[in-house]
Amino acid sequence: MSFASARSRDRGFRVLVVVGLILFVVWSAAPILWLIVSSLMQQQALIVQPPDFSLGNFTLENFTEVIVSAAALGRGILNSFIVALFSTAVALVIGAPAAYALARLAVPRANALAFLVLATQMLPGIAIAIPLFLVISRLGLIDNVLALGLVYLSFNLPIVIWILRGFFLAIPEGIEKAAAVDGAGVVGTFLHIVLPISIPPLGAAAVFAFVEAWNEFFFALILTRQDAQTVPLVIAQFAGQYQTLFGQMMAAAAISIAPVIALAIIFRNQIVRGFADGMMKG
Amino acid sequence: MSSTSFERRRRRAGLLFVAPAAIVLLAILAYPIVESFILSTQSVRLVAGGVTKEWNSFANYIRLAGDETFRRAVVNTMIFSFGEVALVVSIGLAVALLLNHPLGRWGFFRIMLVVPWAIAPVANAVLWKWILNSNYGILNGLLKSLGLIEYYQVWLARPWSAFGFLLLIDVWKSVPFIALLLLAGLQRVPQSLYKAAYMDGAGRWQAFRHVTLPTMRSALAIAVVLQTIWSLRVFEIIFVLTRGGPADATVLMNFLAYRVTFNFLDIGYGAAIANIIFALTFLLAITYVWLMQPRKRRISS
Repeated sequence: MSFASARSRDRGFRVLVVVGLILFVVWSAAPILWLIVSSLMQQQALIVQPPDFSLGNFTLENFTEVIVSAAALGRGILNSFIVALFSTAVALVIGAPAAYALARLAVPRANALAFLVLATQMLPGIAIAIPLFLVISRLGLIDNVLALGLVYLSFNLPIVIWILRGFFLAIPEGIEKAAAVDGAGVVGTFLHIVLPISIPPLGAAAVFAFVEAWNEFFFALILTRQDAQTVPLVIAQFAGQYQTLFGQMMAAAAISIAPVIALAIIFRNQIVRGFADGMMKG
Repeated sequence: MSSTSFERRRRRAGLLFVAPAAIVLLAILAYPIVESFILSTQSVRLVAGGVTKEWNSFANYIRLAGDETFRRAVVNTMIFSFGEVALVVSIGLAVALLLNHPLGRWGFFRIMLVVPWAIAPVANAVLWKWILNSNYGILNGLLKSLGLIEYYQVWLARPWSAFGFLLLIDVWKSVPFIALLLLAGLQRVPQSLYKAAYMDGAGRWQAFRHVTLPTMRSALAIAVVLQTIWSLRVFEIIFVLTRGGPADATVLMNFLAYRVTFNFLDIGYGAAIANIIFALTFLLAITYVWLMQPRKRRISS
């Protein structure tokens, strides 16, 4: 095979890759772009065919309308923040020591326990939803933000433990031995030596847990009625009630996803490394 | 004897460290799993603010066997899961290969990957409800102006069309994560293997076929199992877009369990359906754990 033909074949392959990448961007971005564009357009401009994209039809009205008229959205966002922050923070506080113990502290059957923890993350919600619903209603805690937060804690704990355990396993043992020689106890070593070098994976775990809790719908549907409704529930109701006000519906959706999209973009590299790796390492 | 006391101290601390997490997981997950199994063997009635339960042997499970709707849901779930796994893993692999190519390393592409991942399933469903709207939706407008359809279609009114769109929407949402997973796998394929293959005169396709695919085998298997597990949980898009209709064409097992329990209040029967899903997931989870073990350990065991 001549050098020239190999080069032209190479160029052909590069063209193929570029076309593929363009297709990938269109496929990923088109629906999101349409969400943003239609949230910024006036209703009359949206319901003519084809939509009238002239500059004068773009407005922030949908956003102001939806914020002013829908108290539920504000409450939903507040509830989502409370539930997501609570379940993430507590998951980190009790998950980090557990992950450390499973990775380093000679807990009997640590590997089996770690896999059991991972398996709980795969549990289909419906398998525990019915008894949880019965217990929580008996306790009078339906529509209670903290009850929902506790349920989310049980999903976030496995995520946190699994991501952090992978990281702790990779810490060189010498660090802990040296600390022990210097007279540091296990707790002291963990708090003053291990945790400070674990900020990046802690961040990745936190982002993951927060996004999961923020987006969760099924348990919010079953365990809340009104006061404790989180943002996904509010959005689903909007789609039922305001279903002809397309611009406002999209504005509400855009507001609801903005915080997690921002987190995902800021922490994209940690997400890529922390989680994708964690799902494949034993 | 300082080393033994060192070990002993570490073991004691270990149990202390694990305890809070273990208690939370046992209370919120383990108890409901057991209770869910018990409920499935009972006939449960809601009466004036309370619940009465009565052992009815395995009547709920026996009822499943003759239930036409359940059979429909099982078939739907099988088609949905199979279609979703095939599409998500092949598109995910294509995306991972693209992003692993030197031209695909631009940070912007990673943003395009994490954004659909982070979007709430509900927001995704609501967005597609608008895209698919029969009077004003952009899909009808687009297809008509391209001359592909003559009249505006009510996409969610016909069984196969509704089913197909639910599948497409969920595939769109699921591809990024699997692509990330496979990308991590690709980056672990040793470059020396490619060099050796090219030196032996292998072409691109041969290198893919004989180097990439074999080393990616366990990553691909993990992707298949995980995506199967996740496909059994699909809920939001059905809830927002079709509620199982038209004519139960989009009722998957998970949605059926929800509907039977929380709409029809047939709690024992709902628990039986939920337990079938649990059993399926459990088997898949075991497969996943087995796949994650390093190859050597797997062969010796």
